[in-house]
Amino acid sequence: MLIGAIIAGIVFGLYYTLVGLGLNLVFGVMRIVNLAHGDFLMLGGIAAWWLFSSFGLHPLWSAVLVIVVFVLAGLPIYYLVVPRLLRSRDSEMLSLILFFGVSQMIEAVTTIGLGATERSLPPRLLGVGPMILFGTRLPKAWIFSAAASAIAVLLVYLYLYRTRLGTLTRAVMVSRDEALATGIDVNFVSAVAFGISIALAGVAGVFAPFILGSITPNMGVAINITAFAVIVVGTLGNPLGTLLGGIIYGVSLMLMQTYLSSWANLLPNLLLIAVLLVRPEGLLGRTVRRA
Amino acid sequence: MPDTAAEARRRLIRRVVLDTSIAAAVVIFMGVVRGFYSNELMLFNFVVFLALAQGLNIIYGFTGYLPFGYVGFYGAGAYGFSLVVMHLHVPALLGMAAAAGAALVLAVILLPLLRLSGAYFAIASMAAAQAVYEVVANPDLEDITKGPYGVSLSDVFAPAFSYYVALAILAFALLLVVWLRNSRFGMSLQAIRDDSVSAAMAGVSVVRGRTIAWLLSALVAGLVGGVFAWHISVFYPDTAFDLSVSIFATVFLLFGGATTLSGPLLGVFILYGIYNVIGIAVPQYFQFTYGALIVLLVLFLPNGLVSLLTRRGIRVP
Amino acid sequence: MRSTLLALGLLGAVAAGSAEAQPAAPSEIKIGALYASSGAYASISMPVFDAFKLWVDAVNADGGAEVKAFGKKIPIKLIAYDDQSSTATAATLYNQLITQDHVDLLIADSGSVLTSVAVPIAKEHKQFLFDVSGTGAAFFTDDNPYIALMADPVSTIWPHYISDFLADEGAKAGIKTVAILYSTNDFTGTQAAALKGFFERDGKVKVIYYQGVPTTTSNYTVLINNIAALNPDAVLELGYVGNDIAFLRNLQDSGNQFRFVFSIYAGTEKDEIEKNVGVSAMTNIFSYVPASNYDYKPEVGMTQKEFHAAWDKKYPPGSGVAFGGNAIYGYMTGLVVGQTLATAKSLDQMDIHDAVFAQSFKLKTLDGTFELRKDGAQIGEVTPLGQLQAAGKDALNLVAVYPPDLANGKAIIGK
Repeated sequence: MLIGAIIAGIVFGLYYTLVGLGLNLVFGVMRIVNLAHGDFLMLGGIAAWWLFSSFGLHPLWSAVLVIVVFVLAGLPIYYLVVPRLLRSRDSEMLSLILFFGVSQMIEAVTTIGLGATERSLPPRLLGVGPMILFGTRLPKAWIFSAAASAIAVLLVYLYLYRTRLGTLTRAVMVSRDEALATGIDVNFVSAVAFGISIALAGVAGVFAPFILGSITPNMGVAINITAFAVIVVGTLGNPLGTLLGGIIYGVSLMLMQTYLSSWANLLPNLLLIAVLLVRPEGLLGRTVRRA
Repeated sequence: MPDTAAEARRRLIRRVVLDTSIAAAVVIFMGVVRGFYSNELMLFNFVVFLALAQGLNIIYGFTGYLPFGYVGFYGAGAYGFSLVVMHLHVPALLGMAAAAGAALVLAVILLPLLRLSGAYFAIASMAAAQAVYEVVANPDLEDITKGPYGVSLSDVFAPAFSYYVALAILAFALLLVVWLRNSRFGMSLQAIRDDSVSAAMAGVSVVRGRTIAWLLSALVAGLVGGVFAWHISVFYPDTAFDLSVSIFATVFLLFGGATTLSGPLLGVFILYGIYNVIGIAVPQYFQFTYGALIVLLVLFLPNGLVSLLTRRGIRVP
Repeated sequence: MRSTLLALGLLGAVAAGSAEAQPAAPSEIKIGALYASSGAYASISMPVFDAFKLWVDAVNADGGAEVKAFGKKIPIKLIAYDDQSSTATAATLYNQLITQDHVDLLIADSGSVLTSVAVPIAKEHKQFLFDVSGTGAAFFTDDNPYIALMADPVSTIWPHYISDFLADEGAKAGIKTVAILYSTNDFTGTQAAALKGFFERDGKVKVIYYQGVPTTTSNYTVLINNIAALNPDAVLELGYVGNDIAFLRNLQDSGNQFRFVFSIYAGTEKDEIEKNVGVSAMTNIFSYVPASNYDYKPEVGMTQKEFHAAWDKKYPPGSGVAFGGNAIYGYMTGLVVGQTLATAKSLDQMDIHDAVFAQSFKLKTLDGTFELRKDGAQIGEVTPLGQLQAAGKDALNLVAVYPPDLANGKAIIGK
């Protein structure tokens, strides 16, 4: 049971890496807490459901479509909302409130449009029956999402460390004002980061029906706390950190389910607090930011 | 500008009298209106949010820390009250003392969180509140807290008396804010909020100031939670630790304007009033409207309604 | 039955007419109800509310409800508010209905959580609460006459057909061990505890795994692997719809086979689960047979098929509200309300109480037989145990397999 829990935890945890990756990017670049992140995830899931039930589009294709659409949609949303927000005195706190409002709006529109019932995608789309990894039975869908997540981490890493725009993004992450002073178009860089962030959330949402069973309009809230735990445990601003954070979360959750199942939900909260108090720069950090 | 110390003192006394009168007016109004409007539970909820918004004001308005998990103290108070009433069969007023105690104990445990800043603090406090909820609601602790099956306190059910106790707690919270608004201690807290390094250099004890504000804020929430448990007498843990309690209190506070006395009052009366009116009449689009209102508020009036006046240098009570 | 009621009503009207000062008949009977259009409980609340509305509309189309207290038909006015799944809002709204709107009859929202806040409020204001589906055992106490559970049995007795079946036919087929996995909330947690008690009392089947998980649990892979490692004959998963969807999918993914697998909503909300899980993952799963899949012979109101047709007409499929057990509960509550109005001496709340309790053991509707315990708990309308058996290539039939007097098929227990 122990080995099984650990292996399952690693693979499952990679999904949460995908969930946290976008949030990490946004917080690192703009110090904005996107409390609507879980809702963008939900929108990605709804998009996949709708594309499948109306056009029969396979979710892997939907994921690609979601990426493109969400990146493009992220740009205007950013420009509409964030520059004004950053001008105020206490932007971090206000961003919490603002994106909470956005989250409520997204939830409301989805509930009015689609009703509150659960939606999902047929399991056969990503393969039925178990994949046996080191003696542990895992759903095939987990392997797909773990692969997608690993690819996403790699792509984000390559973006940040190998492309020009990515280098500019890292500059903004270190100090927004100094980046502005050196002539970087901080708003454009941030807008792209925001778009990528919600695109990542959307892709995570496409896999949600397979990992979490079903999607409902109000699922975003619970996802947010877990996502925060994941990115805090890893290090803010470092995509590899989110990889580690997700795996740690996944393994601990599975161990809790095995030995202390009714306490399983306590875990992400305690993990978050513990890391923030003991090692606020995260497990991989070299004091990127003082908490 | 006052020319003499005597003038300064007179000005201070005028301000304190004005602020206290407003506080008294609110408390008296909420007491009297109960005789006219029979949906007493709605009035009780108003009193709850009026007090919670002020409690949050103490910590956010005066130290700049926004605990998104403020509801954790509320829930701790509710369960502190419930546990002593259920297991020790004490009279309700002693239960209220236990509620205060529970919230203070939790605040002391969470003191290390004050080392964190900004968003980290907000999220960590939210995680802390959730953690307390998970512990309380756990079926393994069913014998103590009744776990997920909910609490039933029919023995101490006293809707009228508990309403008046709630009013007393509201008065206490309001007076705390009046005191902070007009005292040197309150000024030092604002100094810490604006620039803690300079404040420290000017001789203000940063840690002590924050700690006192944190404890006072938790105390208010704990008392409110206790009287909530007393008044409603039947509740599930989800209700006592419902994050929307923190969120509403935060939105009301920010809408009205933090650091002032009247800001949170305005925020609660206007926004919670609208919530109840629309909620009853047109609930379908309600969640959307509320969300949009919050977005517009943050974008255009981040310092609250009262900032329309304070921008111009007018002191708002 | 209807003509008897009509005769009684007329007799009552004559008797009432010959009494002294008769209060003037109100122009409408006000019924207050809450519903949740959004949030966690919307999916169980909206069908109940929509079904109740269907009943109200049908009655009003007929000229109104027969009210014995005034000897005539009076139209019904439904005053309903949205609590958005928030208990605090619900509490305020229940209070509003009682103190501001002065409703004659009060109907609770769906499920134990949203009903819980109504219980003390109704008791305090001495207003009888028609509890639709709040099965929390703590609601029903001997010192509170202002509540009765309408449409589903109280959680402490509901699951007894499962343990009866396993102790009886299950034991004969060699089932000796059972694993119970439940979500920690009032509804499913109480059922799990009740089942554990039944198994221990009967002594035929041994409980080898008994674990609670949070109600928000959405992945069961490791849990299923752990259960499989213990090799139980039977597995009972007790959770809400979201839990069942995740469990059934993960069970299929894992490839594990158990001889007997039970989930609450596979049968109770068959259409909903089928859409999200697929036919193959549900084949041979055991569940409750809700009234929406069973043809009780009602003496009052429509049959299940007639109601389903009326429902489809008013709420065409695809409109976002699912037909299932909850829709039946809402309609059935309407039937009880109708009977109450037709037999109560007056609209005084204790007379309403008496009228409701008088229907106990007598009222047979599309939901079964209405049986109230002295404290208001529903002990009738217990759903038979059923199994989802393959019927053709891509379809499932929910077959009732136990108890024998309600069964319309035979159980298939795996190897």
